[in-house]
Amino acid sequence: MNTRRADRLCFWLFAGPAMAGFAAFSLWPMLYSLWLGFCQYEVIAPPRFIGLQNYIYLFLHDPSFWASVRVTLVFTVVQVPLALLAALGFALLLHQPVKARSFWRAVYFLPSILPQAAYAVIFGYIFQGDGGLLNQLLALFGIEGLAWTMSATWALPVLIMMSLWAFGYPMVIFLAGLQAVPRELFEAAHIDGAGAWARFRHITLPLISPVIFFNLVMGVIGALKVFDLAYAFSITQNIPPGGPARATLFYGLNLYQQAFGFFHMGLASAMAWLLFIFIMVVTAINFRISRRWVHYEN
Amino acid sequence: MLSRILEFLAWLAVLLLAALGFWWAGHQRHQPPADGRTEITWFVPITPLRDLYEADVAEFERRNPRIKVRVIWVPGSEYNSKLKILAAAGQLPDLFFTGDVWMSYLLPFKRDVTDFMLRDAEEIGLDDYFPEISAAMQLHGRYYILTEYMNLSLLYFNRRLFAEAGVPEPEDWWTWDDYVRAGQALTRPGGPGRPGVWGSSRVEGWWGEWLIYVRQAGGTVFTPDGRRCVLDSPEAIAGLQFYYDKSEKHGISAPAGFEPLNGFVNERVAMILGGHVNYWLNYNQMPGLDWDVQLLPEGPVTRKGGELAMAGYSVSKTSPHPEEAWALAKFLTRPEAIARIVARGSLSVRRSVAEAQMRDARPEDRPRNLAAAYRQFQYGEHIPRHSHYIEIMLQIVQPEVDRMLLGEFGPEEAGRRAAAAVNAFLATFDTRDP
Amino acid sequence: MHRRPPAATLCLYLLLAGGALVMLLPLGWMVLTSLKTYPEILRHPPAWLPADPQWENYRTVWDGFAYYRFFLNSCFVSVMVIAGTLLTCCPAAYAFAYCEVRHKEFWFALLLSTLMLPAQVTVIPLFKAFAALGWVDTYLPLIVPAWLGGNVFGIFLLRQFFRTIPKSFIEAARMDGASEWTILWRLIVPMSLPAVLTVVVFTFLWSWNDLFNPLIYLQSEELVTLPVGLLYFIARAEQLTGGSIGQHPWHLVMTLATVMVLPVIALFVFVQRRFIEGVAAGGVKG
Repeated sequence: MNTRRADRLCFWLFAGPAMAGFAAFSLWPMLYSLWLGFCQYEVIAPPRFIGLQNYIYLFLHDPSFWASVRVTLVFTVVQVPLALLAALGFALLLHQPVKARSFWRAVYFLPSILPQAAYAVIFGYIFQGDGGLLNQLLALFGIEGLAWTMSATWALPVLIMMSLWAFGYPMVIFLAGLQAVPRELFEAAHIDGAGAWARFRHITLPLISPVIFFNLVMGVIGALKVFDLAYAFSITQNIPPGGPARATLFYGLNLYQQAFGFFHMGLASAMAWLLFIFIMVVTAINFRISRRWVHYEN
Repeated sequence: MLSRILEFLAWLAVLLLAALGFWWAGHQRHQPPADGRTEITWFVPITPLRDLYEADVAEFERRNPRIKVRVIWVPGSEYNSKLKILAAAGQLPDLFFTGDVWMSYLLPFKRDVTDFMLRDAEEIGLDDYFPEISAAMQLHGRYYILTEYMNLSLLYFNRRLFAEAGVPEPEDWWTWDDYVRAGQALTRPGGPGRPGVWGSSRVEGWWGEWLIYVRQAGGTVFTPDGRRCVLDSPEAIAGLQFYYDKSEKHGISAPAGFEPLNGFVNERVAMILGGHVNYWLNYNQMPGLDWDVQLLPEGPVTRKGGELAMAGYSVSKTSPHPEEAWALAKFLTRPEAIARIVARGSLSVRRSVAEAQMRDARPEDRPRNLAAAYRQFQYGEHIPRHSHYIEIMLQIVQPEVDRMLLGEFGPEEAGRRAAAAVNAFLATFDTRDP
Repeated sequence: MHRRPPAATLCLYLLLAGGALVMLLPLGWMVLTSLKTYPEILRHPPAWLPADPQWENYRTVWDGFAYYRFFLNSCFVSVMVIAGTLLTCCPAAYAFAYCEVRHKEFWFALLLSTLMLPAQVTVIPLFKAFAALGWVDTYLPLIVPAWLGGNVFGIFLLRQFFRTIPKSFIEAARMDGASEWTILWRLIVPMSLPAVLTVVVFTFLWSWNDLFNPLIYLQSEELVTLPVGLLYFIARAEQLTGGSIGQHPWHLVMTLATVMVLPVIALFVFVQRRFIEGVAAGGVKG
């Protein structure tokens, strides 16, 4: 009983500021936006309650809603596994004792720290139709290039590729996870004659499973909310947000356009809550499944 | 024990530093002037004209010792989002820069300045403004904007490329057919190591160019009452067809996505239809680029239909100092100020300045045919006064036009799909004039 | 420690170098562009190498742009945000990892939900609130949330790492009469140093590259941070090159972007070295 009271005290003292911040900066704006989702709110006049009309418009009439859902789901399903694999692969490589380790790590982290606008400008040069670097390269092999960013088929794959360059964030988290694996375990396994794959499979993987889980959850949330890259790309390349024929109209971008491009705050709030509920369900499933494969010490 | 004291002291130091940080974070809050002057805030997008504005503000404060101007510079690309967020939070500045594109939308935040305008008509020189510009300052007969700046669609062309190809330069009687014929004569394929030249460009991803054709073919986006989209009319489809054919049938511009970047300044595009007066500065910067302008070619139904857009200053509805803000707006749009902006390379909204500009033009100045640019005024058309115009055009119509260019369907289907989607939108959102 | 066969070592370095080439491509293009002239960046198709490297671009940027002012502003905001993040996220993560209270999972899920709601829809209510407090045009809206556990990502990450530490360590420390506060800062945080440093680096990056919040909350030019300053600079550079909207002077923008990225690279390399040393030290103690 005593320890439990101490635990309670400790919990509220330690987590208190975060919970207070949550209430102040997240909870009430969230509830406010939930209410706005049932209103027509174009900012210029006070919100007006309209029931489910925003949701009905989104599901039945809005030409951009389902297009953006499709783009975002494709992006998430393709990008998250690829990014996680790349991040884990290079984290394992960079965890090896190599010379100038922090130099190599910095190199692989670099694309992730470039300002989005600079990044988008650079990739614009690469993927342009007329005289782009990629097309110049393809021409060397006699292949005629495409207008990559203006193609309804290729614009999304190009953006996925662009985003894969920046796998630095999950990679750094994997590296931190690998650092935390006690070296003695490897030594022991090595003496026992376990091969590299067996060591990875039976020691590394279970021990870093909480980190893999973290990266997976954050990766999925980030992919479903993705916005910056597509936005920076459209601004710097003078392409309207969403690209040709809505090929890169991510849900987050669509939402931003509705909210700040056209100021349908009510509609945007409804969209935000749909995404919120979807992310929550996916994350809950993730947590549920994680009990089977994530291994905690305590 | 010692270590515990040290630890305590360390945490104390952290706390003190944090307190200092918070004080610093908050202490720079802006204070109104202590000398009793009236302070007005002015929201300006940062442009290359910044030095002109700064000089103007200094001069204005010198002439009006009781007014202090607080200029808030906003990066141009983010100007509209920031303006709208501040509007939503009830924090609008006294005076802000805005264009007629946003006229209907921002109307609830704008002060009706008709009383000021009529009172000061003589001082402002209201009849010095081109009548089209003066019309664009109003909505339902009330004034809301004092204009500083404008854009007009024109036909731009590269004189050297015309001479090389032996094609006579564009004339003011040109029709679409003349434009296409010249474009075909100017287009030449690229050879090894030498990029090709396109007779003209085709602006993609934006309504800027195709809307001209739709209008010149006799079509419109909306019915006059703004309640229905009529992009599926035969006239509108004829306009879309021409836009489509430029590349697919006549071969005078690059296929979708292959538009050469900066094609006009790189002398890889001989003509631009539409364009923007903002780019004049760029053109004049490129060594050896010999360019000029002409009236837009005439369409099958009319010559009218190019864009005529303007921007200027609005006084915020909630401003506690409308008189002072208005005084600044008047100062910023006086003839000398407009003349200095025009001298950097653009068109004037005032007749007197335009006349001086044409009179004082030197032979080496570009464009040479300023007279044609000012004649184009009568063929320009205002952007529809529809509060969701930009949204409808970009979010709903444009994707269908994109798909047409990508070859998914023809112009007829594009017009039909666009009109259907817009009408569904209009049925849900009440978007007529406020 | 076992030895790798030389062939494997060679493969490893080849792989690393090959990957590095691809990774450095955007950065290389950025630096090369920063050395070009304005007509060169408008030229098409673009050339890889500048005909005559324009080192003056760096001087132009330095002279035409109050870099040090924006730099110091960015530093101040970043340092305050990192301090607030560490001081509130570490205890919160500890509480969620080790304190046994009822409905803990519920509270945690609630906290995590912050990450799931798109920020766009909370902008206006938050802006109204900060405006009512009179905090617009100060740094407080950028900093205060970080001091109230605003970095939920950090809490989640640290909790994941704290939970990999065997509970017996904590029990032992509690037996020795250490307070929870001491256990957190003297035992758990040093043991999770890589994770804590990761949070520092990420927090720094977010705050350093954040464009949206400084843009809407700061009004006075002398207060703005580097990313907003970059946008201010684009217009200034257009004036320098005589260019205008739509044809940005990317060469100068890339020059500035290069200068902006340097402190971040420096911090990352520094932290990486600590990272490796710190773990080595922790490993010895463990």
